[in-house]
Amino acid sequence: MGRRLSRHRRVRRRGAVLIHMRGFAMYVLRVVGVKKYFRSDMSLARREVLHGLSLHAQAGEVLGFLGPNGAGKTTTIKVILGLIRADSGSVTLFDRPVGDERSMARVGYLPETPYFYPHLSLGEFLGFCGALSGMGGAQLRERIDAVVETVDLSAHRDKRLKTFSKGMLQRAGLAQAILHDPDLLILDEPFSGLDPIGRKMVRDVLVDLKKRGKTIFLSSHILPDMESLCDRVCIIREGVIVKCIGLDDLRKLGEGRVEVTARRWRPDMLGGIRGYVESKRETGEEVFLVVREQRFVRPVIEHLYDNGAEVLEVANEHCSLEDLFIQEISRPGARTKEEKKEETHVFTGF
Amino acid sequence: MHTIVAVALNTFRESVREKILAIALLFGVILMGSSVFLSPLAVGAKQKIVMDVALAAISIIGVLVAVLLGGTLVHKEVDRKAIYLVLTRPVGRPAYLVGKLAGVVAAVVLVFAVMTGVMVAAIALGAGGLRPAVFASVYLSLLETTVLCSIVMLFSTFTTPVLTTFFTLCLFAAGSLSGDLKVFASKFGGAGMKIVTELFYYLLPNLKVFNLRHEAVHGLPFRAADVLLATLYAAVYSAVMIYFACLIFKRREFR
Repeated sequence: MGRRLSRHRRVRRRGAVLIHMRGFAMYVLRVVGVKKYFRSDMSLARREVLHGLSLHAQAGEVLGFLGPNGAGKTTTIKVILGLIRADSGSVTLFDRPVGDERSMARVGYLPETPYFYPHLSLGEFLGFCGALSGMGGAQLRERIDAVVETVDLSAHRDKRLKTFSKGMLQRAGLAQAILHDPDLLILDEPFSGLDPIGRKMVRDVLVDLKKRGKTIFLSSHILPDMESLCDRVCIIREGVIVKCIGLDDLRKLGEGRVEVTARRWRPDMLGGIRGYVESKRETGEEVFLVVREQRFVRPVIEHLYDNGAEVLEVANEHCSLEDLFIQEISRPGARTKEEKKEETHVFTGF
Repeated sequence: MHTIVAVALNTFRESVREKILAIALLFGVILMGSSVFLSPLAVGAKQKIVMDVALAAISIIGVLVAVLLGGTLVHKEVDRKAIYLVLTRPVGRPAYLVGKLAGVVAAVVLVFAVMTGVMVAAIALGAGGLRPAVFASVYLSLLETTVLCSIVMLFSTFTTPVLTTFFTLCLFAAGSLSGDLKVFASKFGGAGMKIVTELFYYLLPNLKVFNLRHEAVHGLPFRAADVLLATLYAAVYSAVMIYFACLIFKRREFR
């Protein structure tokens, strides 16, 4: 065991991908069939908020967690962290059940609306967080210096947190999450309240962590950032994972298709090229034609020119995360409020 | 142990930076100071008045600090979600509660130390002598406050600060009279009444064991064994309260 632990530390120092270690958990995070019911305070009826949710994150992976407001993202995160209990199903972190102190020591968490201790200075706050993670002495002081610099708050180290702006608190939150150099980071809306410079700083920190082989579970509504950072995304809707897809696979979804933008478009022009065009979108004078295959681009352009249209742009089409998100969220099957109400169960078990 | 110390230190820091602690301390010092100026009115019992008021002030301020400070600390952390940062680290919920209790008790110790210092100065100002019973009385008041802190901690795991304050003050009143309850039942009650009162007698904290003020003020002898027994009682009662607090807190969800 001792040999394994020392090897673990060596590998962590090198920043290698931990998946290659012998005996190391393949899944850093595993959620299987989790159901969660909430009961309103004054009623016996209970509402199912997570419907047998399953997902996993592999070592070194950046997993994006997307969903509209109220879909169950924060509830899922709280179940993963043991802040609330799953009514059924299982959650494991580093192959250990949720709440195990050995696995929790390897987790860093940034809550959605971080509230820190206003009576503490940033240095005192990070000292407290480090002590809770079992750090101390010179090692803790060095780490505090390093993370304060990483989040660009060195000048504010001795200031009380009650004087911090929302963006500064968010950065302080990130600092406490990475302080103990965790293997798994769970970040709930890490870009919230940040200005563009702050957003870039957080993105750079996450890119660096990704390079160092850390596993990141990232929940955010900022889709371009998610698209640039994540290896894979899972979309949750009404307590169910509706889609999990790798970003490489997502990009392949639109591969081969080309979008042609043209001006002076007339509806009768579509007649000669209907078989080549997959979809058409008009905005004022302009038209956006998605051509099915590369080989159809030339005849489409020639047809447009011959009929008096002006081609403005020809670009390779790819499916963006935003397209996928909107497609999955607006897909028929979303339950109405009345249907959700009918799904509430009367609590009878004691 | 490491995490308990960290939580306790943070709680202590938070407590001493709370305005309520400074206000309670100021109130206690003013109360004791007033006794110095009013004591000449009691001819021949000047020192007794100063001592009586000072010991009562220490006890009252201790109770107020325990209830007002302890009652809000856990609730505030849960309500503002600061507790997420603690419980998502390798910190067991029992360790968190024990740390919280230790931090509040440390703040109470600070209050007692300051007030005892003021009391000693007030007595010395009147050229009076300090008896060991005075310090024993302060120590027992501290134990009483520790028991109340543990009761506060129990209530704060499942109810609001207002109800925590109310329930703790009720228990404080009932605990101060629990000895009389037993005497009353043995003299006037039937068999059924006796069982009920006995049950309450053992369930409620018997705070009378922490009251040595009469002996301290009047210079009466006291037994060191009673102080030791009171220490043991405070330790066991507080441990039981924290045990039940942990049982409740372990089941609690943070939505």
